[in-house]
Amino acid sequence: MLVEFELIQKARGGDGGAFNQIVTAYRRRILGTISRLIGRPEDVEDVAQEVFMRLYFSLEQLRTPEVFEPWLYRLTVNACYDYLRKSKRRRESRMSDLSEQQVTMADAAAGSRLQTEESEKHRVRDTVNGLLASVSEEDRILLTLKEVEGLSLKEMESIYGVNENALKVRLFRARQRVLKNMRRGE
Amino acid sequence: MRIGNVTGSTGSGEELNAELDALLLAYRQACPEPEASADFMPGVWAKIENRESSSFLFSRLARALVTAALAASVILGTMAANTTSSVSRESGSYLEALAAEHTSSLDPLSLERIAELEQQ
Repeated sequence: MLVEFELIQKARGGDGGAFNQIVTAYRRRILGTISRLIGRPEDVEDVAQEVFMRLYFSLEQLRTPEVFEPWLYRLTVNACYDYLRKSKRRRESRMSDLSEQQVTMADAAAGSRLQTEESEKHRVRDTVNGLLASVSEEDRILLTLKEVEGLSLKEMESIYGVNENALKVRLFRARQRVLKNMRRGE
Repeated sequence: MRIGNVTGSTGSGEELNAELDALLLAYRQACPEPEASADFMPGVWAKIENRESSSFLFSRLARALVTAALAASVILGTMAANTTSSVSRESGSYLEALAAEHTSSLDPLSLERIAELEQQ
């Protein structure tokens, strides 16, 4: 945990300063997760603010410190789902993001080594974004949380509210669908 | 790095699985970590206050609606009670009403009544 439970208790009691400290401790992690889940950089901050706003109003329901992080992740995942449902423009946004990145790349006339590194990163992002965009939102979020964010099955259990075996099956199927698309892309 | 050959894989199940693992790992490292802007925290508080004020407005509206509904139900209840009592008063059959109207004329004639009739 990045914060002490006492701090959460204080925030629950209406201490704005304590809540600010919680946000400061987690915002980088949450921003990163959201950015990988929604893939639209300009909206990441807005969704993150929504997550912390929801956290503020749901702190009262928190009983044990152990569930704080999975809970925050659940709020994050839900806010991302809401965002994606609302916008319904994932594919278009991905395309516009790519073109923005391409423009940035073209503009960046830095040293050749840096450029090569950046173009390799860009290629990886491009490939994975393409693969993940070819499966459903559920599959994409599930795989991102497990394989990219590195959450354990136990943590995911508390986020999704389903048991480990069910999660394993869902993850396996999601992975199979991605692999199928990889084969197709060969 | 193997990642570069993502589309050039021979395609065996294990190879593809390993390739996907490596790709996802590289993806994690390739994704830039976004930094929060200076407006992040004020934005969070603005959203909180916005929601608080809208929920306050909603609760006021809900309270006003409950009061209005209570008043309406009291008025309707009173009206319904009045209607019921007048209906029950008039609920007898036509024959019963007629009988009630002419009971006095059907009474056996008393001496006073005979005297009255004679004077007429």
